[in-house]
Amino acid sequence: MTLVSSAPLFIAQERGYYREEGLDAELVFFRAAQPVAVAVAAGEADFGVTAFTAGFFNLAGQGALKVIGAQSREEPGFDFSAYLASNAAFANGLTGPEKLPGRSLAITQHGSSFHIMAGLLARKLGVETKTIRMVPLETLQNMQAALKTGQVDAAILPGHIATELDRAGEAELIGWVHEWTPYALGGLFTSTRNVERRRGVVEAFVRAYQKGARDYHAVMNKRDAGGKRIFEADAEPVIAIIAKYTQATPEAIKAGAPYIDPEGRLDVGNVYEQVALLKEEKLVDASVDPARFIDLSFISGHFNLPR
Amino acid sequence: MSAREVRLRARGFAPRRLPGAGAVTAVCVFAAWEAVCRAGLVSPFALPAPSRVLAVLAEMALSGELLAHLRASLGRLAGGWAIGMLCGVLAGLAIGVSSLARSVGLPLVSALFPVPKIALLPLLILWLGIGEAPKLATIALGTFFPVALSTASGVDQIPRSLIRMAQSFDLPNRAIVLKVILPGALPGIFAGARISSSIALVLLTAAEMIGAEYGIGALVLQAGHLMRADRLLAGVVLLSVLGVAIGAGLGALERRLLAWR
Amino acid sequence: MRLRARNLAHAYDGLAALGPLDLVVEAGERLAIVGPSGCGKSTLLAILGGLLRPSGGRVWFEGEAPSGSIVPVAYVFQDFALLPWRTVAGNVALPLEGRLPRTEIRARVGAALARTGLSDFAGRFPRELSGGMRQRVGIARALVVEPGVLLLDEPLSALDAQTRELLLEDILGLTEGATLVWVTHNLEEAVRVADRVILLSARPGRIRAEIAVPVPARERNRPEAVPVLARLRGELWALLREDARRAQTEGPP
Repeated sequence: MTLVSSAPLFIAQERGYYREEGLDAELVFFRAAQPVAVAVAAGEADFGVTAFTAGFFNLAGQGALKVIGAQSREEPGFDFSAYLASNAAFANGLTGPEKLPGRSLAITQHGSSFHIMAGLLARKLGVETKTIRMVPLETLQNMQAALKTGQVDAAILPGHIATELDRAGEAELIGWVHEWTPYALGGLFTSTRNVERRRGVVEAFVRAYQKGARDYHAVMNKRDAGGKRIFEADAEPVIAIIAKYTQATPEAIKAGAPYIDPEGRLDVGNVYEQVALLKEEKLVDASVDPARFIDLSFISGHFNLPR
Repeated sequence: MSAREVRLRARGFAPRRLPGAGAVTAVCVFAAWEAVCRAGLVSPFALPAPSRVLAVLAEMALSGELLAHLRASLGRLAGGWAIGMLCGVLAGLAIGVSSLARSVGLPLVSALFPVPKIALLPLLILWLGIGEAPKLATIALGTFFPVALSTASGVDQIPRSLIRMAQSFDLPNRAIVLKVILPGALPGIFAGARISSSIALVLLTAAEMIGAEYGIGALVLQAGHLMRADRLLAGVVLLSVLGVAIGAGLGALERRLLAWR
Repeated sequence: MRLRARNLAHAYDGLAALGPLDLVVEAGERLAIVGPSGCGKSTLLAILGGLLRPSGGRVWFEGEAPSGSIVPVAYVFQDFALLPWRTVAGNVALPLEGRLPRTEIRARVGAALARTGLSDFAGRFPRELSGGMRQRVGIARALVVEPGVLLLDEPLSALDAQTRELLLEDILGLTEGATLVWVTHNLEEAVRVADRVILLSARPGRIRAEIAVPVPARERNRPEAVPVLARLRGELWALLREDARRAQTEGPP
């Protein structure tokens, strides 16, 4: 998908990192997250970058996919996804994410990233996920419509949409996901077949990806002394590359830029937790085992390794 | 002079239904599908075998989930379709008999018919919320336009002499509408009912995008997101069975009500 | 009941189609109207029946409609105009519904079907009937309202020759004593059914000639009537011939 989260791929392509590794890479874009994983599982693409969802875990759990690195993550200090309360619910006491249990929350679908964020929050608050009443509305537009009219008490939305709604007085921004549940948004993955038979290619690809991620990190993940996110002049070339692929304006790219780890390191323990909470809700099949679809051998220094 | 038999030239171009061909085709398709899956030519998460889909359906039936989905969807289909049919027939009759309704309504209906109803979902949420109302409205909207148009064309196809006949006996306008125009437009209304019942099924999935916990559309959507091809196909099977059942029901009703044709 | 029209004229889109003409149909009289194609015969009948507003002139009745009459004027249509979704009995009952009690409707319909020989077909749909039987239903439906005047617009023209012959005899019997206006393009038919025949000129149709038929209705089928009727037909044709030819080359209005 043409999202800023995929920036390391774009940078590696534009700056010739794949070529340096002897790879002739071609970027293929999909309009939704699921087909990315399906294409890799089916061997039509070799590598993929996408968000973690119950669907992804179900597919990966079949054994055809291996997660080998990180996409982006919710990192403390880096605004990305926000909790929003409808004006009515805010007036009625929904002033912070800790008050979400017992309220309704708009999401795209059961098992989506939004569902995972809500589930992680529930865990942190020590309540069951289902105490937050999730309302699937399929699209971000529908979620916004339901939030604006108070049909739902709350929604989790991308930061640039959230700040816009908050500024327009159409909803109330009540917190950022990174403040509550920093988490691994998605992963870099390849097919099991590639890991087993073309290890050299996978290693070369990961090196190129890491170079792209480092370039991104160097200029896009900066904060000033006060902790505020800043974009300096040196970010311009990277933003120009991202703009070329996403067709977004520089302002939109800055507003929607996630934190991307410079080495592609994954918060492994967090992925285990995601799978566990989705299993509890029967959205992920009981047979799915993260240990079998995460391959830690390509990147060193992954975080939070389970014993 | 040599005798030559007259050769029959009027052959072909008269398709008829071969009895049992549909059933045989279905059996062959399912058998081939099952065989491909059993042979391991495709992975089960990409295309589960029909036996697996049936097993999923059986599980859902036993757990009561199937009933919950069917009940939710049938309620929405029946409600939305009934509203759309009623409004569509009334609008179509008005367009068929009144110059004002025709001049105002026909361009309006023609202009709004092609608007994709799915694109209106965010607006429907703003206007009607996320309960049953927007789901019914989505289906009703999809039903209304084809029914209005085909009812109007049904009225247009009533021979004028029948209306003049009724007028020659001084029948009041209400009686003319009820006894001549409505029954005369019935073939058109049925054509609209057939088309709109299919459209309603297609729109069911769109309608159930909005905050639906149960429903066949919700089942299909969720299964798609969860990469559960077996549940997805089970939902698809339910939708097509529903489509065939509704079509058969309408056909039976049509044969009863239009026996005079 | 007597039917009168004065100064009657009609124009379609400013093109004169009929008249001006005056007309009187006496009570109990049988009037046939003939004329070349497009002369406005059917237009005249529609105006007399109140189905068309004339561009000029007026039409009125004199005298009382028979007791038991539901509608003063009843129409018989060339294409029968039967409701295909109603049975024979249902079609005949249509003009009575809402105007008479149910039991009386049933009795009247039963009587009308019996008179027209349709009793065995009461439950049939129109598509199950031959053309002749369908027109019988049309006639039964017109008679069931016991009209003061019966207007027939080419009632036999959609039928084949044999059916036409049979039905013509039956209609004469059924309508004995009734006031009727019968429009036809068939001159032989006109002289057989009418006491008086009005010949219209080519468009715009005006009264060109009037001919009385000097044979009483009951005696029209007798052999000695045949030459008389044939002579009248010949006279009408002589008058009509040139107009008919012109109408043909001019085409429909």
